[in-house]
Amino acid sequence: MDEHTDGLADARAESIIEVEHLTKRFGAKLVLDDVSLVIEKGKTTVVIGPSGCGKTVLIKHFIVLQRPSEGQVRFEGRRIDDLSERELARVRTRFGYLFQEGALFDSMTVAENIMFPIRQHYRVKSSRELEDVVKAKLAMVGLDGFQNYYPARLSGGQRKRVALARAIALNPEVILYDEPTTGLDPIRSDIISELILKLERELGITTVVVTHDMKSAYKVADRIIMLHNGKVIADGNADYIRNHPHPVVQQFINGQVSEDDLAVLRMSGSAGTAQFLPRDFEE
Amino acid sequence: MIEALGARAIQDVVQAGHFGRFAWRSLLTSLRSCASRRTYPLVWTQMHIIGVRSVPVIMITGAFVGMTLAVQAYDQLAGMGLEEHLGQLINLSVVKELGPVLAAVMLAGRVGGALTAELGTMNVTEQIDAVRSMGTDPIRFLVAPRFLACILLTPVLIIYADLMGVIGGALVSFLQFGINSRAYWDLSAYGVDFWDVGVGVVKGFFFGAAIAVISCYKGFTCREGAQGVGQACTDAFVASFISILALDFALAVVSKNVYAIFWPLKSLVG
Repeated sequence: MDEHTDGLADARAESIIEVEHLTKRFGAKLVLDDVSLVIEKGKTTVVIGPSGCGKTVLIKHFIVLQRPSEGQVRFEGRRIDDLSERELARVRTRFGYLFQEGALFDSMTVAENIMFPIRQHYRVKSSRELEDVVKAKLAMVGLDGFQNYYPARLSGGQRKRVALARAIALNPEVILYDEPTTGLDPIRSDIISELILKLERELGITTVVVTHDMKSAYKVADRIIMLHNGKVIADGNADYIRNHPHPVVQQFINGQVSEDDLAVLRMSGSAGTAQFLPRDFEE
Repeated sequence: MIEALGARAIQDVVQAGHFGRFAWRSLLTSLRSCASRRTYPLVWTQMHIIGVRSVPVIMITGAFVGMTLAVQAYDQLAGMGLEEHLGQLINLSVVKELGPVLAAVMLAGRVGGALTAELGTMNVTEQIDAVRSMGTDPIRFLVAPRFLACILLTPVLIIYADLMGVIGGALVSFLQFGINSRAYWDLSAYGVDFWDVGVGVVKGFFFGAAIAVISCYKGFTCREGAQGVGQACTDAFVASFISILALDFALAVVSKNVYAIFWPLKSLVG
């Protein structure tokens, strides 16, 4: 067993997504550094880590919205990172992806947004039937009645809920949430966390959540993975993470600034003030 | 210095490769989409946005081209006593060269800019990734309808520009310079072949394809932020403009050679 992990050996038996030695570079910048992990079927896995540590890039690899520089991604044991875009289309219909800002089509109404994936993959004969599906999906996220609204008229939380309704439109087996609570107030964040739990309970969906909201992470997670500088530094259940000895993990989950960062801030603060103080204001 | 130059050259070659692959995929996907009924409503919508809404500006462009040509050319022809040949000169210039090129440049600005801005915004707000994440090919859903609409409607818009150029030139010739209308039209009909009109219209297919592919590519690859979208729109217009001029030159050479194959003795008559 890996020194940072807890329970990974059990997970391998019922895995749905496997990532092996995944490395991703953008030019000279190394974003993911030899990451290997397994996502368990029917469970909720939360990926945490500071901004820019590669969380979003990691889950984009799960549906091959990004291709690895090195390594492999497998879905149900089949390698998918080397498939063509056309072959990937079938695989992707088994996923739902909630984008950070929702990524709703702003030229379409809420109903049209939810109808989009259905129309793309099913021959719809009755528009009444399609409207019923939209109504049911919106009811699941508590927004029935918003069918004719355009995304611009919705609040941030409502947009995310509509995006969630669209993500579950094709009854996916896996849902990937990219920062679902970012930019929302605590109450709306909690609503989204409750929705994640509800969908997992009612639909039995495998869930992967990328977040740096620890309250939400503890609430929804069966397992938490922490990324730092493109590497997995901790992997286990909520209690395991809470008591993890790694100082970076403790700083992150407790929201503490490191002494090194504080020292840099103090130095740049004094230098910056002196540098940018207008001459007229100098004594 | 040499290292930086080499790196830049490699980057340009890689980008050219990406563009070539994008253009090839767009062409193949658009041809395939013609067989799919699901594409028709999308193409129809784009035809309205790209074609119908461009008609007024294209007609105004064409009219001014014809009117300006009349004003510019009259003095030279009148000096030689050839003012009745003004129609021949205006109409040949309009249908063969100025109408198609200026209509295409106007479209590159109006339509190309809008396509790049729309797709660029979709790119930076992850809407294109959203299309992919739902198992839909964004080239089929976003590029093919725009590509088909541009290819189908640019020639039609060129006909509008030609028509207005001919009318504008004729009105200035008759009303301002008092040229005999009978002689004006007779000499025009003698000097302007169906071939000349056809060459101009056929150019429209190529100009439309260039505008669509370049604008969509720039939108798909634009950098994040408002500045990124703005820069992509500028790049798209500049690249489309240069492509239109380059294609115009290439098509002029090709059409001249094709003409010489079919009518080798025609030049002796004129």
